[in-house]
Amino acid sequence: MNAIVERIADFLKKYPPFNILSFEELTIVALNIKVINLEKNKTLFQIDDVLHDSFYVVASGTINLSVISDAEETLLNKCVEGDVFGLRPFFAKNNYMMTAKAREECIVYTIPIATFRPFVAQNEEVLNFLLESFASNTSNPTDRENKGKLLSDNVIFSSQPSEIQHFQSLSYNKMPLKVPPASIIKEVAQLMTDNLLDNVIILDQNLPIGIVTDTDMRSKIATGRFPITSTIDTIMSSPVITVVENVSLAEAQLLLLKYNVSHLCVTQDGSIKSEVKGIITEHDLVVAQASNPGFLIKEIKRAQDAKELQKVRTKLSDLIQTSIAKNIPLLHIINIASEINLAIIKRSVELAILELGSPPARFAWLSIGSQGRKEQLLITDQDNILVFEDVAADKYRDVKDYFIKLAKKTVGTLQKVGYEPCPNGHVASNLQWCKSLTEWTKQYTNWINSPGENRNENCSIFLDYEIAFGEPKIEEMLTDIIFNNVKKNKLFFDYLGNDALRKPPPISFFKKFNVEETGINKDKFDIKIRALMPLIDAARLFTLSQNIQGINNTYMRFKQLAMVDSKHSEIYLNCAEAFLTLSKIRTLEGLKNDSDGQYINLEDLSKVDKEKLKNALAPMKELEDLIKDTFQLTKFS
Amino acid sequence: MLEWLKNINKEHPEFWKNYHSKFEKRSSRYVILSTQNTGLNPDKDVILSIGAISVINNSIIVGDSFEVILLQYVYLHENGLSNEFIIESKQPKLGEREAMQAFIDFIGNAVLVGHRINLIVDFINVALEKMDCGKLKNEALDIEIMYRKLMDITDKEFSIDALCDIFKIRKSEESSSSEDAYNTALLFLKLKSRLGLN
Repeated sequence: MNAIVERIADFLKKYPPFNILSFEELTIVALNIKVINLEKNKTLFQIDDVLHDSFYVVASGTINLSVISDAEETLLNKCVEGDVFGLRPFFAKNNYMMTAKAREECIVYTIPIATFRPFVAQNEEVLNFLLESFASNTSNPTDRENKGKLLSDNVIFSSQPSEIQHFQSLSYNKMPLKVPPASIIKEVAQLMTDNLLDNVIILDQNLPIGIVTDTDMRSKIATGRFPITSTIDTIMSSPVITVVENVSLAEAQLLLLKYNVSHLCVTQDGSIKSEVKGIITEHDLVVAQASNPGFLIKEIKRAQDAKELQKVRTKLSDLIQTSIAKNIPLLHIINIASEINLAIIKRSVELAILELGSPPARFAWLSIGSQGRKEQLLITDQDNILVFEDVAADKYRDVKDYFIKLAKKTVGTLQKVGYEPCPNGHVASNLQWCKSLTEWTKQYTNWINSPGENRNENCSIFLDYEIAFGEPKIEEMLTDIIFNNVKKNKLFFDYLGNDALRKPPPISFFKKFNVEETGINKDKFDIKIRALMPLIDAARLFTLSQNIQGINNTYMRFKQLAMVDSKHSEIYLNCAEAFLTLSKIRTLEGLKNDSDGQYINLEDLSKVDKEKLKNALAPMKELEDLIKDTFQLTKFS
Repeated sequence: MLEWLKNINKEHPEFWKNYHSKFEKRSSRYVILSTQNTGLNPDKDVILSIGAISVINNSIIVGDSFEVILLQYVYLHENGLSNEFIIESKQPKLGEREAMQAFIDFIGNAVLVGHRINLIVDFINVALEKMDCGKLKNEALDIEIMYRKLMDITDKEFSIDALCDIFKIRKSEESSSSEDAYNTALLFLKLKSRLGLN
């Protein structure tokens, strides 16, 4: 046998799905392979390209699979040696829905679909592997927890990616009642009653020709227009409105409105000329909606007390979990989660105002820290401050009194929802953090111009803020104060820079994870302090020094920095991606243990995840050097 | 110089005429080849094996490949060399004549590519001469020259192994002409795109 064919077959047999095939079969595959070389950043195929007649295996290098969503490239997956990708031609006829691009120089094996299809047809295991890879968007479905759950959600990135509800799949009755047209109405009504169903499909030669619902029974039978002894076809609504099996919530809603019906009939190919697969009712839509973000926000707005808000927060956790399982890009999940968090805070303030009466002065309720950066996926602490406008000296006491009360109530509500007050007391109910604009101006000026004066106090979390309720002008004024003060303030950057560098390193000299040595979290990895905080601190530091205003999110900060400071854009982009990876690991850990995910149990991580974690820590070293370099750190070090 | 005169009255073998007729059209096919020889002198040494694979449209076509071991029993015997590797190898074996004919049929009018291609071509030409054929007509590209050109280096030599290391191409443990040809093909793709040849 040809040595090259043998070499390629030997390579393939190490990886799924090829490991299922015999060596003879692999030889046939190898004989038909074309080998291509992709230079770094070269695109193999992109969204909307016509399907190729081949699929691909990475022989060396890394291929990035990404989708464009919200005008931004979102990485779906990285394919490394042995991964298969570009499977779409096996299962679909429309164009590619993702982009495959070489992250570094790659050698890729091109396998013609025509060559491989017989093996797929003959071998169910191979088919299943390909289907799962295709559906999950990940290269190796055996890595994933929801193995075997074949969702039609693989097209989720097609049109409107930002709305989760758009691609939410529906669950519905897949065993509808079916009767022939000549059935007697009375008997059909009894059948429906026995089965507790409000609809029945009329089949003629196995094809749906009409539907009878409770409405028909009311309007056509109970009114006496037809006797209960006539045949069912006399009262059926015809034709039925049919849809395909994996219809999305949004589509189903539109169809119900468009045809003014209450039921949709699911058929194999979506036409009335094919087999019935189920019935979607309005009720199914309501159930599906109950866990969509828009609905959650409405529920928050209507909530009357902390208990109702808490219910919504629990649902949000479910939503986050399912979204992550469905491989929806983390950035979207973060955006939605922070909108919902924000709505909860807002409603909490509103509830307090409803109780205390309208405020005596304008004010702003600001979330600070992780909430301020809109990075809160898991329930963590609440950190917030209250700023009220300056009032006449004689009114000051009453005004401050009111706002303290307001803050106490709000913080209390949030605590009941599940946000514990910050252990350092960074909450607005604290006298120190509920004050007038002038006082805050002094506070910020003081922090910035004499940094480190009070060693016990870390002002950096006050530099990430987001208005949750109140007067946006106040937030703007704070921003002005901060940016005017930090301009050319070497001392302050020095301080922040050293603060960022002071975090304990994540990886030891011997390339091992630095884990906790004592305490209840012994042997666990502190992902918050050792990995996320340095990135967060650095992003803040650089955005301040580059005078980038209005971007509070760490990921967005790095993205923006990459644009402004193009010389170091690669470092920033790597950090942005690392931040997402680390956040995801933390979120998964948190969801698993119902904690804030700060401590990662390394033993529970798969080898792949451990590698991912290690890779995400790699950009930190470069970032550290960049900080030292940019700010010429000396004074505090 | 007067070589063509020497051959003018000789009747070429059928396959050679056939080979010539292929040059009426220009080829978009590259054949990347590698040989193992008993030494470096085309006049004294002989080819032991040939491995070749084609590149079309920037893709290595695995199915379009060629490999052969030449049965050089006489030469090996005369020079007291071992012929064990010939016996052990599972690859197709042919006498020099048959091998050269098959090789000529395989390359057709393709552009030949190899590491130190001139030496390879010299060896092949010597073998062809013994068979009443003329010299190879194919265009030839040299990998080492391509790399020198890319890096703008003139005074340094690069072995095939060195180039593989530079481009991070993994070599397999056993070396054969086919393996070398495949690695050369990968090098060729990389150099071709870097040099902007299309």
